[in-house]
Amino acid sequence: MLRSTCFALPLALLACLGASLALPAGAATQCPQHFAAGSAPVVANPKLQSRTQEVCFEAFAVLHSGISRTPLYSAEHLTRANLEAAQDLSRKDSFHPELSLPAQDRAELKDYARSGYDRGHMSPNADFATRSAQAESFSLANMVPQVHANNAGIWAGIEGATRQLALKEGELYVASGPAFIGSDIKQIGRVLVPTHVWKVLYSPRQQRAGAYVVTNDETREYSTLSVADLEKMVGIQLLPGLPQKVRDAGMELPRPVSPHDRKGKAKKGQGGQGAQPAEEEFTLKDFSRNILDAIGRAIKH
Amino acid sequence: MTEQFKPYANEADVIRIGDLEIENGVDRVTLTGDIVLTKDKAGLALARELQALVEKVTKALEDDKALPEVVEVKEARAVKNPFA
Repeated sequence: MLRSTCFALPLALLACLGASLALPAGAATQCPQHFAAGSAPVVANPKLQSRTQEVCFEAFAVLHSGISRTPLYSAEHLTRANLEAAQDLSRKDSFHPELSLPAQDRAELKDYARSGYDRGHMSPNADFATRSAQAESFSLANMVPQVHANNAGIWAGIEGATRQLALKEGELYVASGPAFIGSDIKQIGRVLVPTHVWKVLYSPRQQRAGAYVVTNDETREYSTLSVADLEKMVGIQLLPGLPQKVRDAGMELPRPVSPHDRKGKAKKGQGGQGAQPAEEEFTLKDFSRNILDAIGRAIKH
Repeated sequence: MTEQFKPYANEADVIRIGDLEIENGVDRVTLTGDIVLTKDKAGLALARELQALVEKVTKALEDDKALPEVVEVKEARAVKNPFA
């Protein structure tokens, strides 16, 4: 990045002030194209910051933590053109450790082996238009330990709803990640198991943003919240390039889609028979306030 | 595709039959998603792939002389939250 030296002369100082105001609000990043307004999330909780490393992929970016050995977020820019161009998924893929990370910081396949947990994608492979981007999504730098019923159930439904909304809106900026809430956390191998997973969506067309959060268990309930509340929950400023009023306002989010319409594409010719409304499958329940209150109490102690 | 898939041989392989995603693991093979077997030649091809997969899984389990009643899972440990 180009940065000029500032001299303490009145005119230069003014110029410097102007320049610093124009700087993006986000963290330093090698791949701004994956982030809303080109601004990467800023880690606010200093305990989350240590042993983090950005990994830029073709179609998404993660901030990886060598403490949890998971991403702290995985960010992607979904466009209608890309989703429509998306080839059918490759017939063969491979989970793999992220070799660009230091060995002591990265998850290995053996950390997850015999744990009973799924390797849950944060940016899902079905979002991506190219085989190479799909293959990269199987990096363990994009995975968290996730309960299978959650990954295959409500979380897959949220991923499908996100694709459908991106098709409708034309584009969305999306980030997804884990939350680790409470005094004790489960660990498999050397990898921490998140208590919650979340997905934040920003629609440039609507100028609105909002988030889903679910507990990492067999739940069929989800909560929605504003970006500002999610940021408090996870300790990361997720959309630093957006005006505060957008981060505060929240957004009407679609219900997670039923398992029969996960692809976020037009229904394949199955007639009307399978078209059961998804409304009853997953239910909206506002539990985010309880989590935020608990975090608020913990901070006061 | 299913020819190269060796059930329970590794933690890495992912293959797809229709919209069914099959993940390999040393202690489990997981099938997620759905598959529509249409009454046509494409449906028959998918059905044969699925049959080949299930036969391989069944054989691997039958051939395991020490097959347990219930697979053993390593319990997750509780650790102090490093981020709290």
